[in-house]
Amino acid sequence: MPASRRREAGTAMIVKSETKPYVEAFRAGPRGAGEPHALAARRQAALARFGDLGFPTRRQEAWRFTDLRPLQRAEFPPSAGAGETRVSPDAWRLEGDAHRLVLVDGKFSPELSQPGALPQGVWLASTARTLAERPELLTGAIEQSDTEGNQPFASLNAAFFADGFVLALEPRTVLRLPVQIVHLASAGAPRSHHLRNFVSLGAGSSARLVETHAGEGLAWTNAVSLIELGDGATLDQARLQAESAEALHFALSRTRLGEGARLRSFVLSLGARLSRQDMLVRFDGAGATLDLNGAYLLRGEQEATLATFVDHAAPGCTTRELFKGVVADRAHGVFLGSIGVRPEAQKTDAQQLNKNLLLSRRATVDTKPELEILADDVKCSHGATVGDLDETALFYLRARGIPEAEARLMLIEAFAADALDRVEEPVLRAYLEGHLKHWLAQAGEGGR
Amino acid sequence: MSESMLEIRNLHARIADGREILKGIDLTVAPGEVHAIMGPNGSGKSTLAGVLSGRPGYEVTEGSVRYLGRDLLALAPDERAREGVFLAFQYPVEIPGVNNMYFLRAALNATRRARGEAELDAGQFLKTVRAKLKLLEIGDDLLQRAVNAGFSGGEKKRNEIFQMAMLEPKLAILDETDSGLDIDALRLVASGINKLRGPDRSMVLITHYQRLLDYIEPDHVHVLSGGRIVRSGDKSLAAELEEHGYAGFEAA
Repeated sequence: MPASRRREAGTAMIVKSETKPYVEAFRAGPRGAGEPHALAARRQAALARFGDLGFPTRRQEAWRFTDLRPLQRAEFPPSAGAGETRVSPDAWRLEGDAHRLVLVDGKFSPELSQPGALPQGVWLASTARTLAERPELLTGAIEQSDTEGNQPFASLNAAFFADGFVLALEPRTVLRLPVQIVHLASAGAPRSHHLRNFVSLGAGSSARLVETHAGEGLAWTNAVSLIELGDGATLDQARLQAESAEALHFALSRTRLGEGARLRSFVLSLGARLSRQDMLVRFDGAGATLDLNGAYLLRGEQEATLATFVDHAAPGCTTRELFKGVVADRAHGVFLGSIGVRPEAQKTDAQQLNKNLLLSRRATVDTKPELEILADDVKCSHGATVGDLDETALFYLRARGIPEAEARLMLIEAFAADALDRVEEPVLRAYLEGHLKHWLAQAGEGGR
Repeated sequence: MSESMLEIRNLHARIADGREILKGIDLTVAPGEVHAIMGPNGSGKSTLAGVLSGRPGYEVTEGSVRYLGRDLLALAPDERAREGVFLAFQYPVEIPGVNNMYFLRAALNATRRARGEAELDAGQFLKTVRAKLKLLEIGDDLLQRAVNAGFSGGEKKRNEIFQMAMLEPKLAILDETDSGLDIDALRLVASGINKLRGPDRSMVLITHYQRLLDYIEPDHVHVLSGGRIVRSGDKSLAAELEEHGYAGFEAA
């Protein structure tokens, strides 16, 4: 949309019209009371950056395929945190023992959370509590990229975030039980929830982390996660985005991997009217490994973007990416995959693959894999496919008596399960599989 | 003799490009009978199997097919299967990501539901699987793999026969089941087929070569050429073909 600019009295800030409600809310609200002065100043700078950038437009390459109109049809005042909901976290619970935190409308809910007994060397708490009790863990809470970068929603998040979760492990700490964070949105007037999460694993430590976003109503989740894996640290990460059919969901993560670190990450995107996951990963140390996988299953008028930006800034690192899309009805799936290999990142081994299954004539997919290689001794590959259901396989199943609708679901499940097979951690895999099957069962009832 | 299992009358069918492949097939199969349909490449053997099983891509332009007194061509492919028609594929399809056991149980339970029988739970299903493996004297090595994925030619055909044993069809159409098999695999598959013969089960063996008939003795042999059955006889006809080839049977 064309930017209408106007000069605010008394400031030098140039504000784009769509950002105005947020700028005004920032001025009106008592924000960051008791926060260190430095943080408050950086929030101000991040807000100014958001005002400069405005909402992304389709003229920007990274946003070319994203239709932001659902975000522009309403205003989403930043949530003060209702902290109360009729949505129960029970349906989203991970099987077995876990350290559980629940946030409702962007605010930590002590009633619904069960953090359990945390072992020595582990900090798991809400972002708000961490700011109050362990501010030293969050000295880098607002980064330069928030105040000077080109991610307007991350800048907006920096200005407004009040809560989220923090998981910090001291070096050589092994967290035996998985951690589950459930973010719930309650029904009500449109609101935006600006969550800021921090995961910091010290050298040689390891953890399993499941994050779930679910809820009701027309809410805009705008989450930013900063993830740091120290040398030799391992994180198994599963994310389930199952927000309401009206919801808007933007999640951006910035991950840094130390020497020999290993991140195995899977994102399953099932919900929301409009969603976008930006996954930025940088290799800071040699010999680290990244398994970055995911799937999007879309129907109705859903639109989802999975965007990965992997920066090989150190030698001898490995990237494996597999993203699978199942797109029905008039839904729209987008995959953006960028892998950059810097001159010093010799012996990089990177593979990226995006495969899509279109289930209707009006379903669409845009896929854009990209490699930029500046080192000469590397192994890199990428690929993308878009196809229909395999008719010969469908006939084979039907020739054995399986009704057409059931046969279709079997093939769709097999297609998506191929990506889930990459989740090695059994608890995480069972969780994702369960929700995938649930989605398929619902899709089957919907007559597909 | 009671009503026939399969009655094909003056069947004409064409493929997507409009070419007529079947040009008036007549065939009657009684319960318990095994018919061999032999013919050279391009005679219409696979088209006949495709039309009977409901494979997409064929259009019937004339004639009728009655199965146990019903209009077979009016049924969807999965309905035909649930009613007891089984096609053993010439090229069984590989379906990565779908477990063989899961697939078979879905197939068997769909058929049982259609017959008004209770579905089998995991335990009952496993029991049935074991009994059929024992009957066919084959191993369980293929069961936990994805359907046909990465199977050898012999494994694929063995899997077809195992599926047939599990689904207990009334009419089995075996499309070039002998193709691509070495002699040991051929013996295993043929022995499986023989064990599944019975007074209530009819079979139509479609084959190019006579060698399958060294192991399975048909009640009737038909020669298909140019989209028509040009000659019918008993098993001695197969021996005659073996000796003289199809040269004498080109469509008039």
